[in-house]
Amino acid sequence: MANPPNEEEFQLSLTTDTPAATDVVRDGILARVQAALGDKIVESLLKPGDDIWVRVRTESWRETAVILRDLGFSYFDFLSAIDWLPSPFGRGEDDPTEPAPVRDNTIRHGYTGGDTRIQMLARVVDPTTSMGINLKADVPDDNAHIESWTTVYAGANWHEREAWEMFGITFDGHPDLRHIYLPTDFEGFPLRKDFPLLARIVKPWPGIVDVEPMPGGDQDEPAQDGDAQ
Amino acid sequence: MTLLGDRQQLSYIASQAADARVNLELETEGMTLNIGPQHPATHGTLRIIARLDGEQVVWVDPSCGYMHRGYEKLTEVRTYPQVTALVNRIDWLGSFANEVPFILAAEKLMGIEAPLRAQHIRTILFELSRIANVSLFLGDLGVQLGAITPVFMAFRDREYVLNLIEGATGGRFHPNFDRIGGLKDDLPAGWIDETRTVMKKLRRFCDEIEDLLFGNEIFQSRTRGIGVIPRDIALQYGMSGANLRASGVDWDLRRDQSLPMAWDKVDWKVWTHPDGDSFARCWVRLQEVRESTRIVEQLVDTIPAGPVMTKVPRIIKVPEGEAWVCTENPLGEMGYYVVSQGDLGPFRVKIRSASFNNMSITPWLLKGVYVPDIVTILASLYFILGDIDR
Amino acid sequence: MGLVDRGRLPKPLTQLFNMGRSYSLWVYQWGLACCAIEMGAAFGSPRYDVMRLGVIPLPASPRQADLVVISGTVTDKMAPVIKRLYEQMPEPKYVISMGSCANCGGPYWDSYSVTKGIDQIIPVDVYVPGCPPRPEALLEGVVMLQQRIKNEDMGARWRGEGSQPMALAQSAKQAVKKQVVDGESAERGGVPVVVDH
Repeated sequence: MANPPNEEEFQLSLTTDTPAATDVVRDGILARVQAALGDKIVESLLKPGDDIWVRVRTESWRETAVILRDLGFSYFDFLSAIDWLPSPFGRGEDDPTEPAPVRDNTIRHGYTGGDTRIQMLARVVDPTTSMGINLKADVPDDNAHIESWTTVYAGANWHEREAWEMFGITFDGHPDLRHIYLPTDFEGFPLRKDFPLLARIVKPWPGIVDVEPMPGGDQDEPAQDGDAQ
Repeated sequence: MTLLGDRQQLSYIASQAADARVNLELETEGMTLNIGPQHPATHGTLRIIARLDGEQVVWVDPSCGYMHRGYEKLTEVRTYPQVTALVNRIDWLGSFANEVPFILAAEKLMGIEAPLRAQHIRTILFELSRIANVSLFLGDLGVQLGAITPVFMAFRDREYVLNLIEGATGGRFHPNFDRIGGLKDDLPAGWIDETRTVMKKLRRFCDEIEDLLFGNEIFQSRTRGIGVIPRDIALQYGMSGANLRASGVDWDLRRDQSLPMAWDKVDWKVWTHPDGDSFARCWVRLQEVRESTRIVEQLVDTIPAGPVMTKVPRIIKVPEGEAWVCTENPLGEMGYYVVSQGDLGPFRVKIRSASFNNMSITPWLLKGVYVPDIVTILASLYFILGDIDR
Repeated sequence: MGLVDRGRLPKPLTQLFNMGRSYSLWVYQWGLACCAIEMGAAFGSPRYDVMRLGVIPLPASPRQADLVVISGTVTDKMAPVIKRLYEQMPEPKYVISMGSCANCGGPYWDSYSVTKGIDQIIPVDVYVPGCPPRPEALLEGVVMLQQRIKNEDMGARWRGEGSQPMALAQSAKQAVKKQVVDGESAERGGVPVVVDH
C-alpha cells in the first residue's frame, strides 16, 4: 500500500447514501408525466433511486414526445428498439454437427410489459434536474411502423435511420430513411434476433471444443520442417 | 423541419440565390466535394459529401458506417466479462472509460457495489483515460488548422499517461481492467508518486498548448464565431460533453447524478462557455484536462484502504431486469441500456455513444460555412469514428 | 531497367538497389481504428521516431507510396476503398497488416459487417499481431520488411513469380514458431510474422 488511508476520510466515505425505498423526486416527476399524458400511458414503473419507465400507446408515440418536450424534457438522449423474441440460435454456441437443440421461444417482456415482438425504446432527459424517462411503445408485428420523432427532436433523425436499418421499423414522416451504417445492398435487419451471425453458425464455438494441443507439447514432436508455414 | 427554423432556411435561400447569381455571371456549376472516407481530418473513416457553391457549403451529407462493427449484436452473443473486453474499443482513446458504465449497469442489476477502494481507483483511471484522450485532441487540433508542432507535444506527454495506465492495468491501450464487483488488481507500488509527477507534467503541457495555440491570433480568427451551436439546438440533437457545455449548458454527469464513483469526494469545477463556437468547445476541453489532473491528484491522496474486489460468483449470471447507466466520458455522455433475462450474457444492450449524437448535428451545422471551416468544425466537435459507428 | 526486365541484373547491383529501396520506404498510413493511434505514435511521435529507420511516413497520395500500413478494423463497406487505393500504388509495393482486426477480424471475428482479414482483399507481406500492437511491434514489423526487401530478387518479382525472399525463410519460420509458442506475446503485440506468397 503506497498510501496510508486517512482514517477520517475513510469513515466519511463509508456513509454513501443508499437508495431510498421512497423516491420523492421521481415520484413527483412521474405524477407530473402521468397528469400530462393521461390515458396515453399503458403502464408505468418507478424504481426508487433508479429510473422511470413509461409505456405509451403506439398511436400516441409522437404526441408523447411533444408533450414531454414541452414539459421540460428537452434533451433527446437516444432512440432505439428491442426485439423480445428469444434468439433461435442461443448465443451461437451450438455444434453444427449436432441437431439443433429445442429452445423455448416464448416472449418474455421486460419492465412495463408489452404485447408485440418489437418495442420502441427511447429516453428523454430534463437537463435542469438531470432526470430522465425511458419510453417504450409497441410496434405492430405485421407491418412494423411508427410515427417519426424528427419534427419533435431533430436529433432523432439519425437514430431512426439506425433503427430502420437494424430492426426494419418504418418511421412515418421521416424525411430521409436510408442506410446509415451498412452498405446499401445489405440484406436483412441485423439486430432482429432471428438474424444469424453466420461465422458462429458454420463452425463450432471454440469455447466448447477441447483446447488444442500446445505446440511444443508431446503431440508436436513428429512435426517436420514446413509445418510452421 | 419547421423546428430548425430560420437559420437553416435563410442559409438555404442565400445559397440558392448565390447559386443562381454565380451561374448567371460566371456560368459555373455547383461542385461536389468528397472528403474521406480516409482523411486525416476525419479521425478515422468518416466520409463527408459536400455540395459547394463557390467556397460555400450548400448541403452536406456525412456518411458514416465505415467503422461499423456491430457491437450491439455482438454483445448479445457474449457473456458479461467478454463484453467488457469488447466495449473497450468503442472510443479507443479513452478505453477504460467505456468499461465503467457497462460494469456499473451490470452491478446495478446484480445489486452489488464495488468496494470503496475500487471506486476510487476506477475514478482515477477514468480521469486518466480522459486526459489521454483529450490531450491528443489538443495536439491534433493544431494539425487540423495547419500547426504541426502541438501534435508532437501531445504524443510526447500522452505517453506518460499511457505508461501510468499500463503500469496499473497491464494494458497500454485497452486495459480491460474493470470487473463486475471491483477491479482486477490493486495499484502497483510507487504508482501514486509517479502519478503526481505526471500530473504536473500534464498541467505544464496544458499551459504550453494554451500559449502556443489558444493565444495564437490565427487560431483565434479561425475558430472564433465558427460553427456556433445555440443552446436549444444542442439539447435537441442530444449533444453532450464539452460540446454541450460550450453552448452554455451547465450539465456534467459526473456532478449531476449519483453513481458509486468518487467524483463527489473531491473539489473540482465544471467549466462552461457562453459562446457555443469552435473556440469555446476547444477551450472547455482544455480546462477539463486541467480539472482532471486536479481530480486525480486529490484522489490519489485519499484512496481508502480495503479490498478492490467484492464477493461475486465465479460464473456471473445477472438477474432479470433492465438498467440504464451513463457517465460523462471524454467525448460526452456514454450510456448502456442493459436488458437482462437472467442469462450468462445480456439479452440486449443499447449503446448510447456520445459521438453519434454529436455528429448528427453536422448536416445542420455545416450548411452555409466555408470550405476550410468544415475541418475546423469537425475538429472542434471532436468525434471518434468507433464511437459514432460502434 | 531492361536488365531487371530480362532478369539479368548483376547481383551486386541488385543488392545496391535493394538497399536503397529498403531505406527509403514511403509509407502510406491507412489509419482505421485503434491501431491508427498506435501507428500515429510510432510514426508521428518523437519517442518512437520511425524516420531513423529510413521510413518516411508522409506521402501525399498512395501513388507516391511504397508501403501501406493497414491498421485497424476493415469493414465490408470499407474493403472496396482499400482495394482501390492499393491498386493506385506503383509496383513494387508492400503491405503491413497491423493488429488483429486487419489480420483476421480480431475481436469482431463473428460480426456481420467486418471483413475477416485484409488478406482476403490484398496480399500482405508482414502481419503484426496485437490488439493493438505496441508501436515497437510495428517498428519491428517495418524492420522485418526491410530485411525482406534487402534479400529480394527483383527479376523474380518482375517475372511475376512473387517476391522471393532469399535468406529470410529460416528466420520467418522461427518467427512463426516463436509467436505460436509464446501465446501471450501474440496477445500483447508480440513478434510480427513474415509470410511468403
